[in-house]
Amino acid sequence: MKLALASSSASVEEARKQPAIQVSNLSIVFDTNRGQNIAVDRVSFDVAPGEFVCIVGPSGCGKSTVLNTIAGLEVPFEGDILVEGAPVYSPRPDVGMVFQQPHLFPWKSVRRNIAHGPRMLGRSRAEANAIADDLIAMVGLTRFADAYPNTLSGGMQQRVAIARALANQPRVLLMDEPFGALDAQTRAVMQDNLLALRDRIKATIVFVTHDIDEAIVLADRVLIMSAGPGRILREVAVKLPRPRSSSVMLEPAYLALKKDCLDVIRAEGLRAFNRSEAN
Amino acid sequence: MAVRTDGRARRPDSVRLRRVNILVGALSLPLFVCLWELVSRSGAVNMVLFPPPTVVATAVLEWIRSGQFFGDLLASLFRVTTGFIMGGALGILLGVLTGQFPVISSLLSPLFHILRPIPPIAFVPIVILWFGLSEAGKLFLVVWGVFFTVWLSTHIGVQKVDRGLIRAALMLGTPRRQMLQEIVLLGALPYIVVGLRTAVSISFYTLVAAELAGAFAGIVYRIEIAQQNLQTGQVMGGLAALGLISFVADRLFAALAERLVWWR
Ligand SMILES: Nc1ncnc2c1ncn2[C@@H]1O[C@H](COP(=O)(O)OP(=O)(O)OP(=O)(O)O)[C@@H](O)[C@H]1O
Ligand SMILES: [Mg+2]
Repeated sequence: MKLALASSSASVEEARKQPAIQVSNLSIVFDTNRGQNIAVDRVSFDVAPGEFVCIVGPSGCGKSTVLNTIAGLEVPFEGDILVEGAPVYSPRPDVGMVFQQPHLFPWKSVRRNIAHGPRMLGRSRAEANAIADDLIAMVGLTRFADAYPNTLSGGMQQRVAIARALANQPRVLLMDEPFGALDAQTRAVMQDNLLALRDRIKATIVFVTHDIDEAIVLADRVLIMSAGPGRILREVAVKLPRPRSSSVMLEPAYLALKKDCLDVIRAEGLRAFNRSEAN
Repeated sequence: MAVRTDGRARRPDSVRLRRVNILVGALSLPLFVCLWELVSRSGAVNMVLFPPPTVVATAVLEWIRSGQFFGDLLASLFRVTTGFIMGGALGILLGVLTGQFPVISSLLSPLFHILRPIPPIAFVPIVILWFGLSEAGKLFLVVWGVFFTVWLSTHIGVQKVDRGLIRAALMLGTPRRQMLQEIVLLGALPYIVVGLRTAVSISFYTLVAAELAGAFAGIVYRIEIAQQNLQTGQVMGGLAALGLISFVADRLFAALAERLVWWR
């Protein structure tokens, strides 16, 4: 690690300039039985290394599709995606993903679930378990290390899913409405957990949600998407101080940001409504 | 307050009810056997055709003492277990192949779907033509019956594996060629186990057909011989033995199934 730092300060400089994720002119088209459906229409954005970006937008606007494409699970119809400067063709271990459902392997204990990634990348069982145990402690589930997923609550399962995605030490972490299925209280706790976690892992995070509050609490920058076909309407920089917690929602600066976002969303909603009336 | 005393009063009632149920359950079989004995000996029915339990018990004891029982038991158990293991293994193998690879499914599934609904018993005549009275023919029938059930449940199980689990595994660096062993087989396991459990009783149905078609030993074979000699007690003893064996087999498999799907 040290060696790499010392040897090439030039390439470090370069890496700092290069975005962690570059999405340029991304379009995604699905063939349906009613013809072609443009899910995502010429979306472009960059994410800087270590940045936390939230994508918000109404249901069906293509948030998951964009994320899946960055993950390499979906193939772009048009446009390019570079992660750490390299094009994405298929899932890569340096890109981690947390889905809306935890999708834990039901036959594996919490520890084995988290150790799965390192095992697949060729680590020994002992090494993988050590990594898993560290992460289990980090997400506060030490008591449940040997439990099977079906004995855990939804919030606990999602914490395991996050730990599992972190086990391969991804440079980029993609999160698709990971707290969408949780109740409001658990959700607030999970947001605080994630904020605390994020200060330690230093990964670049792209987080999808349709909850504008969640987006502002978590993000450095919020991308607001429009519905069908999905486009990016506006970028809002969130310059709230860190370290943050969900109590930031009580500050005036927060409310001003939220008003900005809501204005954009309302204008778009009205436009979409008028357009559908006109048709 | 009133509600609480109410609840307290009800509890001993439900305990008593449960005790009564256990007692009735324990008495069920003895009561039934006594009734049977009484009816048989009352003269209302023909005792040769409907012998009392004591006569059946004597016949079974005689069957065991003559040494034929264990030969029959071994012959039948051999057919059932060998057929079950062969049919089950084949069913799982082909179920994984058709479930996982669409080309193989297109090739084989139409054929299997046509053959599957034919009751295995209907194959007895052709099995006799092909195999005569050999053991191979009997195994064939059991394997045939077991195979289709296990194939179908495995096929469905493999297809129903949660796509989300596969995506999650891909994101964690699982190579596609390892997906089968890491995710698909385990995801399908609950279905496979259900198929195997159903196949346990199917293997006994087909055993009956196989031994009726002509054998030289076996529980069902002994039942048929006894019938020809009008030894109704022996016939009933054979039926009881068959019932007991398949009951035990089912229970053993249920216990095994619990361990196979260990995370439930
Ligand atoms: N596999 C697919 N085949 C066909 N159409 C699809 C497919 N996946 C997504 N779509 C379409 O693409 C559009 C965007 O879907 P997507 O799931 O990305 O939306 P989303 O913004 O994530 O919505 P939500 O907030 O409900 O999760 C939708 O119109 C959807 O119908
Ligand atoms: Mg989505």
